[in-house]
Amino acid sequence: MKSFSVSGGRSVSLALFSDVSNSRELLELMQSGKLEPEVAFINASLVPDVFPVLAAAHKALLSQGRESLTTRTLHSELVYNYSGSKHITESLKRCGIYDDTMYILAARFDPSDEELKAVEKLICGTEIDLAELETRANQPQILKGPRLKSERTDGSMHIMMWYRIAAVVLSKESMGMKLITYPALQLFLHTPVRLHNCHYPGSCIN
Amino acid sequence: MDSTQEKQQDFGVLLKQGAEGRVFVSTFVGRKCVIKERFSKKYRHPLLDSKLTLKRLNAEARCMTKARKLGVSTPVLYAMDPLLHTLTFEYVDGLSVKDILLGFGSNGVNEERLNDIATQIGNAVGKLHDGGLVHGDLTTSNMIIKNSTNQLVLIDFGLSFTSTIPEDKAVDLYVLERALISMHSSCGDVMEKILAAYRKASKQWCSTTNKLAQVRQRGRKRTMIG
Repeated sequence: MKSFSVSGGRSVSLALFSDVSNSRELLELMQSGKLEPEVAFINASLVPDVFPVLAAAHKALLSQGRESLTTRTLHSELVYNYSGSKHITESLKRCGIYDDTMYILAARFDPSDEELKAVEKLICGTEIDLAELETRANQPQILKGPRLKSERTDGSMHIMMWYRIAAVVLSKESMGMKLITYPALQLFLHTPVRLHNCHYPGSCIN
Repeated sequence: MDSTQEKQQDFGVLLKQGAEGRVFVSTFVGRKCVIKERFSKKYRHPLLDSKLTLKRLNAEARCMTKARKLGVSTPVLYAMDPLLHTLTFEYVDGLSVKDILLGFGSNGVNEERLNDIATQIGNAVGKLHDGGLVHGDLTTSNMIIKNSTNQLVLIDFGLSFTSTIPEDKAVDLYVLERALISMHSSCGDVMEKILAAYRKASKQWCSTTNKLAQVRQRGRKRTMIG
């Protein structure tokens, strides 16, 4: 496993596995919440580069710090954030693993040495280098993802792609602006006020 | 006040400070990045203030991604934080067009380079306008020429909005023209070259340039009498 520092002294460790044979068990363990230690499994064919995963991890840590996780755990939040969609079930299905997924990217936040070994034991497959991500990524599959189709694909394909994913992963916050709750704002909002409809002096002058 | 000062240090090295925000250079998961923070205005009603700040933050992020979709290169958005009112962008390594044009004639900036830059500006603005996006603050300091590829990157979409009205597009071009005249009159008629490229890139150039002639006569603001 390779460790990447994300923010505020926290890190995430990533490991890539191919020819995984026990994904059914992993899925069952994960769904029953008995996975020990807790790990995030990402369908690695949708990952063209490490950076979008790190960006998603950054966001997950940020929302954990504010106690505003959308999903139940930090690790499922990582998968959810990576998908670039706001639909939890869909994103876990799309970016998570299936019964027959052979190619898996495992991620664990701030692991200790024992946990690292436990994770490697947990997954029955061969660990390969993270550099393989780029060549093994399934580009048509990635481009099917939300909000990626309309983007232009000129320039260097790989770079453009993961840049765009990073942008999508993170800009969804702005896209779904109406759905976000702003804790700071709620302090003032005892009664719902629709501010965008009221005109204050100056707003109508061109 | 203590907490805000701590946050400031977190953001990294201060690069620029403006009326609406500060720009810092920092790192984001191991990559060099630029953080743009919109600070709150203490003189505004807190409710109005947070609404406005967030609205502008979101608008900027949206317009930038839209520009990217239209094929104009902009810095990549890495993260956005609705609580601290920050946007995290890719760090674009390069000189601003302003600095390049100011060095015209001295630092190896020749006619050819100038033509290339003007063409790129015209193309980029044409693409934006055809897609219905108005930049709102087209000045030479808001354009960067990337060192590695010599490609034009547009920055600062803080004043940008979507519009298909020729008036808005013409004002956009007019602002650029004024900026060029006041800063870079020694470079010759750059605007002419930009407009030539704009005409080629935009399908709706005709109505925009007609409007531009009107805007030139009366200035950026419309007279609103009656």
